[in-house]
Amino acid sequence: MLTDREILSTLEMLKNEHLDVRTVTLGISLFDCADHDHERFMQRIYDKICRTAQDLVRVCDEVGLQYGIPVVNKRIAVSPIAVAACAFSAPQMVAIAKTMDEAARATGVDFIGGFGALVEKGMTAGDRALIDAIPEALAETRRVCSSVNVASTNAGINMDAVYLMGKTIKRAAELTADADGLACTKLCVFANIPPDIPFMAGAYLGVGEPDAVINVGVSGPGVVKKAIDRARSASPEADLGQLSEIIKRTAFKVTRVGELIGRQVARKLGVPFGVVDLSLAPTPNVGDSVGEIFQSLGLKAIGVPGSTAVLALLNDAVKKGGIFASSYVGGLSGAFIPVSEDLHIGEAARKGYLSLDKLEALTSVCSVGLDMVVLPGETSAETLAAIIADEMAIGMINGKATAARLIPVPGKKAGDQAFFGGLLGEATIIPVSTHGGADTFVRLGGRIPAPVQSFGN
Amino acid sequence: MKKIVISVLGCDRPGIIAAVSQTLFENQCNIEDVNQTTLQNEFVGIFIATKPEQTSDEELRARLQERLTPMGLSVMVKPLQESGEWRAPPSEPFVITTLGPDRLGLVAGITEVLARFEINITDLRAVFRGGNDPRRNVMIYEVDIPVAIDRSAFRTALYRRADELGLDISLQHRDIFETIHRI
Repeated sequence: MLTDREILSTLEMLKNEHLDVRTVTLGISLFDCADHDHERFMQRIYDKICRTAQDLVRVCDEVGLQYGIPVVNKRIAVSPIAVAACAFSAPQMVAIAKTMDEAARATGVDFIGGFGALVEKGMTAGDRALIDAIPEALAETRRVCSSVNVASTNAGINMDAVYLMGKTIKRAAELTADADGLACTKLCVFANIPPDIPFMAGAYLGVGEPDAVINVGVSGPGVVKKAIDRARSASPEADLGQLSEIIKRTAFKVTRVGELIGRQVARKLGVPFGVVDLSLAPTPNVGDSVGEIFQSLGLKAIGVPGSTAVLALLNDAVKKGGIFASSYVGGLSGAFIPVSEDLHIGEAARKGYLSLDKLEALTSVCSVGLDMVVLPGETSAETLAAIIADEMAIGMINGKATAARLIPVPGKKAGDQAFFGGLLGEATIIPVSTHGGADTFVRLGGRIPAPVQSFGN
Repeated sequence: MKKIVISVLGCDRPGIIAAVSQTLFENQCNIEDVNQTTLQNEFVGIFIATKPEQTSDEELRARLQERLTPMGLSVMVKPLQESGEWRAPPSEPFVITTLGPDRLGLVAGITEVLARFEINITDLRAVFRGGNDPRRNVMIYEVDIPVAIDRSAFRTALYRRADELGLDISLQHRDIFETIHRI
C-alpha cells in the first residue's frame, strides 16, 4: 500500500513544480546509409530515420499518459553527418540537412541533432564541407541542430577549427538577421562532447554507440527550488550541508522518473535504453528556472558574489542523487544555465548582475557552458572565436564537457532585447570587450597541445 | 478444521484485539490473517482463522459477543468462502487521486465509473473535512485496471465524471509512486 504522503507529494511535483521528462531522444546510426551517390544517400537516411522513429512520438505520449508524467520533447540524434557523409561537398551537405529536416517533420519530432563534426585534432574534407554548410543548413531548416567538437582533454584545442567556428557563427547570424540570428541557437561548439547527449542543440549519436538507442534528459529545477523552499521554511536553521542533502534526494526522485519513462519507451520501441542525462534544464516558463534556485539560497540573483559556490553545490548534489537513481548516466549531467531559456538568468543579465565574465566562471563548475548567450551584432568572428577558445580551455583543463552557443544578434547592441520564441526564449544582449587583441591571437591558429593530467592544481 | 471470518466493529479502545484473540485461543481457533483499521474513532478488525469442527459458528459468535458487548463492540462470524464468483482478470495497478471540495455523491460518482468498467478497488482512502486545504478533501483509490478494457474510453469517462463533480483528478500507473519513493 502506498502512503498518502507518497502519492500527494508526487502529485505536487507534477502539478505545481513542473516535474516532467524534458526529452526522450532516439539516437539513430546513419553509418549503414553511406553511399557514394548523393541522392541515394539522402533517400537512405530519410528512410532509416522515418522507419526507426515512426512510433517515437506516439509511444512517448502513451507512456507519458500511463504514468501521468509528460514527455515534453521527443527528438532524434543521428551519427555525425561529417563522418556519415564525408565524401560530399558543402552544397550537398545543405541538401542533406534539408532531408534531415524533412524526416524530422515526418516523424513529428521538434528537433533532430547530429549535423555535426568532430575536429578536435584536425579536419577531413568532409568535416570542412559540413562546417562550411552549417550557416545555410541552419538558416534554411527549422528542426536541424548542429554541434562541432573542437577540443578535448586528450587532443587539445584545434584553434583553426575554433576560428572557423567564429566565422561560421557570424555567417549563420547574418543569414537569419531578420530573426535575431536564430540559426545560431541551433549551433553548439564543444570541448569533450559526450556521445550520448539527449539535449539540443548538442545531441548527436557517437561513433561507439548502438544502431538505435533511447537517451533521456530529465529536468526539474522547479522541483528542486520548491524542495529547498520547503526545507528552509520548515527548518530555518538548515545549513548548506543539509540543503545539499535535500537537493540530492530531490534529484534522485526526478531521475527515477526519467529512467522509468525512458526504459518503458525503449522497451515499446524495441531499442536499447542508453542513459539518463541528469541535467537541471530550465525553460522560460514561470517556476521552471535554475536561476531561481540561487534566490532560494539567499542570493539576489545568479551572477552576484557567491553564485559560483551555489552552482557548484547544486551541480554536485544533482549528480550525487541522480547517479544513485539511475543505472546508466551520461550526456551532460549537470545544471544548465542557458541565458535566454531561463526567466531568472535572463533577468539577471538584463539587470546587469550577470556578465559574460561571471558566466564563464560559472561554467567551470557546471555542465554545458556559455549557453544561449546573446551578444552585440558587431562582435567580430575573431572575438567570438576567442570567447569560444576560453570556454574550450575550461573544458579541456577540467576534463569536462563545455560548449559555447553564442548568438551575435545582427543590428542590435548591448542592452537591446533579442527574441527567439518558444523554448529558446528571449534575452538582453550583454556587452563584450572588443578591443583586446583577439584578432591577432586567434589568427595564430594551430593546435593548443593537450594538457598534462597530473599536478591538477 | 474449517476456515471462518470474524469481523469486529465498534468504538476504538485498548484491548479489542487481545479480547478477540484470547477468545479464539480458548476455543482452539488458529488465526491465519488479521487486519485492523480505524476511521475517526471507529475500529474495525477482520480475522481469518481455522476452527475445530466441534464448535459451531454460532457458538463461537455467542462467546465472542459475550466478551465484546461490555466493550461496546459488535461481532460477526461467517464461514470463509474460498473463492467467490468473481475472479480477477489480468490487470495493471493504477492510482486514482482526486482533490476538490466536498459535496454529496463524490465516492458514488467515481466508483460508479469504476464499477461500469469492471475495475476492482484494492485500497481506498478518502477524507472530506471541508475548508480549502486540498489535503483535507482527497480520495486515493488504488485500483486494478483489466488489460482487456478500452483504457482510453475509461480515462475519458473518469475525467468527464470528475469534471461534473468539480474534482481535480489524476490517473497514474502505480509504478511511478514506487519508483519515486522507494529504493
